[in-house]
Amino acid sequence: MVQAAGPMSIPRVELREISKSFGNVRALRNVSLEIHPAEVIAIVGDNGAGKSTLIKILSGAAHADHGHIAVDGKLAAISKPQDAQNLGIATIYQDLALFDNLNVAENVFAGRELTWSLLGLRLLRRRHMSVGAHRAVKDLGVLTLQSARPLVGSLSGGQRQMVAVARAIGMSARVLILDEPTAALGIRESRTLLDQVRRLREMGLSIILITHRLPDAIELADRIVVMKGGEIAGIVRPESSTLEDIVELIVRGHKAKEES
Amino acid sequence: MVRAGGFMESARSVLSYRESGVLVALVAITGAMFVISPTFRDPYNLTIILIQMSVIAIMAMGQTLVIISGAFDLSQGPVSGLVAMVTGMMWSIFGADPAVAITAGIATGAACGLANGVLAARFKLHPIVMTLATSTIFTGLNYFITRGRPVIGLPDPLLEPGAGNVGPVPTPVVIMLVVTIVMQFLLTRTLFGLRVRQVGGNLEAARRTGVNVSATWLAVFVISGILSAIGGIVELGRVGNAIPSIGLTLLFPIISSAIIGGTLLTGGSGSMVGTLLGAATLTVINNALVVLQVDIYVQDVFQGALVVVALVIDQFRRRELTVRDLIRSDL
Repeated sequence: MVQAAGPMSIPRVELREISKSFGNVRALRNVSLEIHPAEVIAIVGDNGAGKSTLIKILSGAAHADHGHIAVDGKLAAISKPQDAQNLGIATIYQDLALFDNLNVAENVFAGRELTWSLLGLRLLRRRHMSVGAHRAVKDLGVLTLQSARPLVGSLSGGQRQMVAVARAIGMSARVLILDEPTAALGIRESRTLLDQVRRLREMGLSIILITHRLPDAIELADRIVVMKGGEIAGIVRPESSTLEDIVELIVRGHKAKEES
Repeated sequence: MVRAGGFMESARSVLSYRESGVLVALVAITGAMFVISPTFRDPYNLTIILIQMSVIAIMAMGQTLVIISGAFDLSQGPVSGLVAMVTGMMWSIFGADPAVAITAGIATGAACGLANGVLAARFKLHPIVMTLATSTIFTGLNYFITRGRPVIGLPDPLLEPGAGNVGPVPTPVVIMLVVTIVMQFLLTRTLFGLRVRQVGGNLEAARRTGVNVSATWLAVFVISGILSAIGGIVELGRVGNAIPSIGLTLLFPIISSAIIGGTLLTGGSGSMVGTLLGAATLTVINNALVVLQVDIYVQDVFQGALVVVALVIDQFRRRELTVRDLIRSDL
C-alpha cells in the first residue's frame, strides 16, 4: 500500500524502544511513542512511572541506554539540552527558568536578544523587543498584559507560564514539553492556560503535557499515554474512555474489563 | 485604547519608585539644612559636599554593577589606594608624564580587577571572602612599595582630576556625571548590561540561556577595578598628596550608597542613578551632622542607622517582610 507522503504521515517526534536503567532500577522499558504535528498528548502515571525519565531523554537531560529518537522522520542524536533545542524541542519545567528581575520583553527574548552594534558595543533594540514580546504573548491568548514592560516577578502564575512558552516558541520550538503546567495555578488560571494550550495546537505545535490532573488530560489531550513501572500501560483516546478507565490503567497497569 | 498612565509611565522611565523615594529624602534633608544652617548653604560647603560625594559615587557605581551581577567587591578601597600610590610614584620615581602616570594607575586598577575576576569566575571563589583576601594583598603591596611613606609635591596636572575645574564645575563632579551616564547606559541599554542582570537575577537560568557567566563576572570585576582606579586618582587630587592610607575607609560609604540607592544585595536589581542619589544622601547627611556639630561618635551611629533603614525598606520591597509579619508576636 502506498501511503500519502504528506507531512501528517511523518510523526514530528518518534521514540522507538527506549530503555533506561539507573543501577538496578529499570526506569524505562521499551517505550515507543510518536507525536504528530498539532497534537496534544498527555502523559499520566504515578510517581516513579517513568514520566520524568522519558521527558529527560527527549530534552537531552539524560541518555537512553537503548532505543532511538527520530525527529521529522530523521534519526536524531540528542545528547545535551542544546541538541534538543536545536531540533525544536523545548521543555518548560515547573520552575520555568525565568528572570523575575527582568521585564517580559527581556525574558521572551532571553538568549536571542535583538541588538545593533555601535563601535563594537552591542546595544539592545529595546523597543523592537518590547513590541515583539507583547505581540508574542498576545498571540498566545494572554490578554491581561497591557505591555511587555512589567517585571516577570510581578506576573501571575499563568502569565509567567505563557512568557516561558512565548520564549520557547521564539526559539523556534515545534515540540513543547509542559511539565505540570497547572500544578501551581488556581482553577480560573488553569482554565485560561488550557485554552492557551489549545491555541498552541491550532498553531501546529506538538505538545506533551505531563500532568497529575486527569480531568485536564481528558479535556485537552488527543491521546493520553498512561505509564506504569517504566512501561506504557496503555494509550487511550479521551472520547472513548472514562476517568475510571484511566485510573484503572494507572493503578493496575491494565483496564478492569480486560481482567474478566 | 486610552493611555491614561502615559505621563506617569514616562516619568517612571526616568526615575523608578525607589529612586524617587531617595530623591524626595535627599531634597527634604538638603532643603531643611538650607533653611536651618547658613554654614551648610555656604557655596564653599556645597562644593565640598559635591567633591566628597564624587569619589564615593564613582566607586560605588562599580560596586553597584558587581552587586547586580550577584557578587561583591570589598577590595575597591585598597585598589584605589594602591592606584593613587602607583600614580604618584610613577611621577616621583620614574619622572613619568602625568598622563602616563594616570594611565599606569588605571591599568593597575584594571589588573587588580582582572585578578579578582579570575578568582571569582575561573576559580569560583566566594566573592566576599575572596575580595577580603585580595584587599589585604593590595594593601600589603601598597605598603610594600611605599614603605608607608607618602609622595608629596605632586604637579598640578596630576591633581587636576580631583582638584581642578572645568569652567565653573569641579572636575571630580564632571567625572562623576560622565561615569553615571556611561554606567547607566551600559547597564540598561547594552547586551552586556542585560547579561549582568541575567547572571545576578537567576544564575541557573542564565546558564541555561547560554550566557557566558565567567566572562560576565570577569568584565564586571575589571570595570569595578577601573572605577576604583578613577576614584583613587580623584582622591589623590582631593587630598593633595599620595598617601598610602587613601581608600581604606571608603568601603562602608561605597556599599551604603549602593544600598541607599536601592541596589538589592541579592543581585539582579539596581541602578546607577539610584547609587548617585544614595552617595549624595549619605554625603549630605554626614555634612549636616558635622555642620550641626553633632558628637563625632554619634555621627557613626547615624550613618549605620541610615543603612539599616535602607535595608529594612528593601526587605519590604522584596516582599520578604510585611507589616503583618512585624505585628505578629512570634519571631
